[in-house]
Amino acid sequence: MIRLSGTKHLLGHRLWIKDFPEPSKQIEIPYLIVGGGISGLSAARQFHKKGITDFLVIELENHLGGNSSNGENKYSKYPLGAHYLPLPNKNDKELLQFLEEEKIILEYDSQGYPVFDELQLTFAPDERLFYRNNWQEGVVPKEGNSTLDNLEFQKFFQKMDVFRKAKGADEKYLFDIPLYLSSSDEETRALDKITMKQWFEEHHFSSVPLFNYIDYCCKDDFGLGIDYVSAWAGIHYFAGRKQDIAAEKNDSVLTWPEGNAKLAHHLQKYTTDKTLKNHLVYEVKIENDKVIAKAFDDVSKTSVEIIADKVIMSSPQFVNQYLLKDRKGFTKEFQYTPWLLATLTVSDLEDNYSFPLAWDNVIYDAKGLGYVYDQHQTLQQVQDKKVITYYHSFSSGDLKKIRKEIYKRDQEYWKQFVLNDLKIAHPDIEEVTEEIEIFLLGHGMISPAPGFIFGEAKQKAKQNIAQKIYFAHSDLSGISIFEEAFHQGINAVNQILDGTTLDS
Amino acid sequence: MGKKFLRFEFLLLFAVFIIATCGLIYELVAGTLASYLLGDSVKQFSFIIGVYLFSMGIGSFFSKFFHKNLLNTFVEIEILVGLIGGLSSVILFLLFESVGSFQFILYLFVFVTGFLVGLEIPLLMNILKDRVEFKDLVSNVFTFDYIGALLASILFPLVLVPKLGIMGTSLFFGMINVSIAIALCFILKTELKKAYILKTKAIFSFLLLLVVFIFSDAILAYSEGKLYGENIIYTNSTPYQRIVLTHNKSDYRLYLNNNLQFSSADEYRYHEALVHPVMSISKSVKNVLVLGGGDGLAVREILKYKDVEKVTLVDLDEGMTKLFKTNKVLTDFNKNSLNNSKVIVVNTDAYIWAKNCKEQFDAVIIDFPDPSNYSLGKLYSLNFYQTIKTILKPDAALVIQTTSPYFAPKSFWCINKTVMQVFPQVDAYHAYVPSFGEWGYTIAINGFGTTFNTVNRKAEKLRFYNYQFDRFNYFTNDMISNQIEINRLDNQILVRYFDEEWGKLQ
Repeated sequence: MIRLSGTKHLLGHRLWIKDFPEPSKQIEIPYLIVGGGISGLSAARQFHKKGITDFLVIELENHLGGNSSNGENKYSKYPLGAHYLPLPNKNDKELLQFLEEEKIILEYDSQGYPVFDELQLTFAPDERLFYRNNWQEGVVPKEGNSTLDNLEFQKFFQKMDVFRKAKGADEKYLFDIPLYLSSSDEETRALDKITMKQWFEEHHFSSVPLFNYIDYCCKDDFGLGIDYVSAWAGIHYFAGRKQDIAAEKNDSVLTWPEGNAKLAHHLQKYTTDKTLKNHLVYEVKIENDKVIAKAFDDVSKTSVEIIADKVIMSSPQFVNQYLLKDRKGFTKEFQYTPWLLATLTVSDLEDNYSFPLAWDNVIYDAKGLGYVYDQHQTLQQVQDKKVITYYHSFSSGDLKKIRKEIYKRDQEYWKQFVLNDLKIAHPDIEEVTEEIEIFLLGHGMISPAPGFIFGEAKQKAKQNIAQKIYFAHSDLSGISIFEEAFHQGINAVNQILDGTTLDS
Repeated sequence: MGKKFLRFEFLLLFAVFIIATCGLIYELVAGTLASYLLGDSVKQFSFIIGVYLFSMGIGSFFSKFFHKNLLNTFVEIEILVGLIGGLSSVILFLLFESVGSFQFILYLFVFVTGFLVGLEIPLLMNILKDRVEFKDLVSNVFTFDYIGALLASILFPLVLVPKLGIMGTSLFFGMINVSIAIALCFILKTELKKAYILKTKAIFSFLLLLVVFIFSDAILAYSEGKLYGENIIYTNSTPYQRIVLTHNKSDYRLYLNNNLQFSSADEYRYHEALVHPVMSISKSVKNVLVLGGGDGLAVREILKYKDVEKVTLVDLDEGMTKLFKTNKVLTDFNKNSLNNSKVIVVNTDAYIWAKNCKEQFDAVIIDFPDPSNYSLGKLYSLNFYQTIKTILKPDAALVIQTTSPYFAPKSFWCINKTVMQVFPQVDAYHAYVPSFGEWGYTIAINGFGTTFNTVNRKAEKLRFYNYQFDRFNYFTNDMISNQIEINRLDNQILVRYFDEEWGKLQ
């Protein structure tokens, strides 16, 4: 059985022509949050913490969570987007606080390290790589490298260790999370002007396995591979996480069968009875000191007018350009990589037994980023069927073109695409696959091409409008990770409430 | 002319020498193999030698029916002897497990080899009779024949079997046999008719033997693996494991996925040591839980205490508990414990069951398979023991089988240290179980209301445990390991220790 689905891009495309009925009812609310992804939900949490409960979250899809959504079949839940959260940095008090609230951090030990819930940390074995016809532990190519390769890996990781610890003259980390906390050191920021590939070559790296490994890492976090991604972003992947929150195994990650939808569900409790789902906001403007947002209800096929004092636009900028005037100019600079996720139910998953099935299973030199074993975090000894989710990002120099192309293909094409890629490591995958669900995300994630993170477009897009319309979305950070969206939401609420602004 | 003649004769006599050596080797191989596989070596050797000599006689008898192309026939037989004799041990090894009439095949091989060797000597004499004087001929042929026999019988036990093994020896001599045939084909090509056909046959046979010789180790490993040295009386593959029950004299052995689970000869040591300390230490034993242990042997020991009111056994494998509820041999071992009215058998995943369990127990006995993979490793994790703690009453005692402290000290102390994170009182002890070796357990008390040296109750007529706990918790230096990490779901360090320690032994 095959199923093909995705985000509601067809409804979204009606924003081009805006053929919506005139609003037939009105809602008045002090605070409106447009978009129920992590940044919107995080804003809701922050409002709640500040004692504000008269807000409303409006969402296009029939569920909240945005890129942190999930699906579920008979055998397992599975992610329809982001699927893990690396251990937070010690300085990230807000995030630590949230993890404590949700009992992901259970307590703090005598040395001051948080004790994470064993059931929510990735179980061992966490990663394996299919490299030179064998599965090996970890995703860094090891067994089968030449001596030269190993030297380059060593040199590369040493450089990343230096970047991880380094601070600028302003006493800020060169690379930090959330990103706006990073140092304004000019030399470091210059890295945003070149691609990661240029950086690789400028530092006289030539190892093919190292190149492919970095390419994999860049695609994993940014959608764009080493050829197209900003070197600043590429290095941030390795240096942004300080690995200072645990005494051992500090590069561990938190994960759940449904991926980060787990975190979205935690945040959703602050939006109970304060949510309009299936509502497409198609216009936002300021009128008579109020913000007017018009939205189309895709279920009743009617429109509604929401009159708010303040609005947080936690919707992505490629959408905002159709809702607010005068944004198309800088929005052009916002690039989003399309993603494909495929969840397969397989009767068995045999391989050559060189290293056992892990949580993250990466195939070297494959098209995609490998697959996640969705039932990895279960306690059972055996599973009737195995459920895995395959990830693929459409890294390209022309993302618009590739986005048009992917919507032309049918489900049979994608099925073969996925199976052929998995066949490298699992030759019999086609015979054992019983169900496959393809999920396409046209605008999968913001992708930091050179010049974007510290460019003008981002600066302009994040400016509030007349202290009435505020913006919060990970695309305003430039990298699409949970932590960024989480802080975007918090900061937007803080700006509204104390009038402070953050700069970067 | 005279010179060439001499060479011809010498060559054939050398062939006799080789035939005699090889023939005796095949005979010795058959004898050794028969006594190895079937036992009773005197009988086997005696029968084999008898049959071999007898079949040589038959071969000699039939040699008179050969008249034409004697030299060709001689070379053909040489090839055939090499091939059959050489491959005999391999075939016998492989067939032993699967063929009922093994003895018949064994003697058939002995007969055919003997028959062919018996053909050769008269045949040779016939070839040479017109060229050599009869007196010299007989004397030379038999001289070489007996020298070859002596050489073979000395080399076989001293050099060949220790160096090449039985299979290697027979294959090696098969190759020598065939190479004589090859040599004859080349040297006597003018005397032979259609020498090229013989050459092809000989070379092909040689190559076949060579290939088998190269792979003989693998074949041996395969066939030896099949030989438990015990009779398999029951096998069953459940969705979770392969159950094999073997019987040898009065000893029954149960294997799960080829790992010995118990031997009926000494399982009482293992199960008494597993059950009685915890049952005597625990404050109360009214409500007892057993995780794993689908064989019902631990339950048998538990039921020896009168104050036990209820035993819950949780085992994943329904096939296993069903077998130990219904099979006559097995219910004799567990004293029909799984059918006892106090016993409730639950076939489900123990971890999930414990997570959802609302009941609390007075004593818990955990008898899971060793942590040999990441799935099983979860059942020894910190979170698992924390889960177990939630279903224990205050002062309940808990015991866990924790592999061998002698073979796997890191694994053993890793589990112990992990349990220490959860329970206020933890100790370790061990017992000697001949079929396992030195075996160990971790024991814990959920409180301070009792101690490891307290004996709250005793069962009668135990064969091994004497209720003196402090005689079992002493560990010699070779069973101790320090600097061990705690086993957590996110590191599964125990599986690594276990693999490192038991992997080394294989």
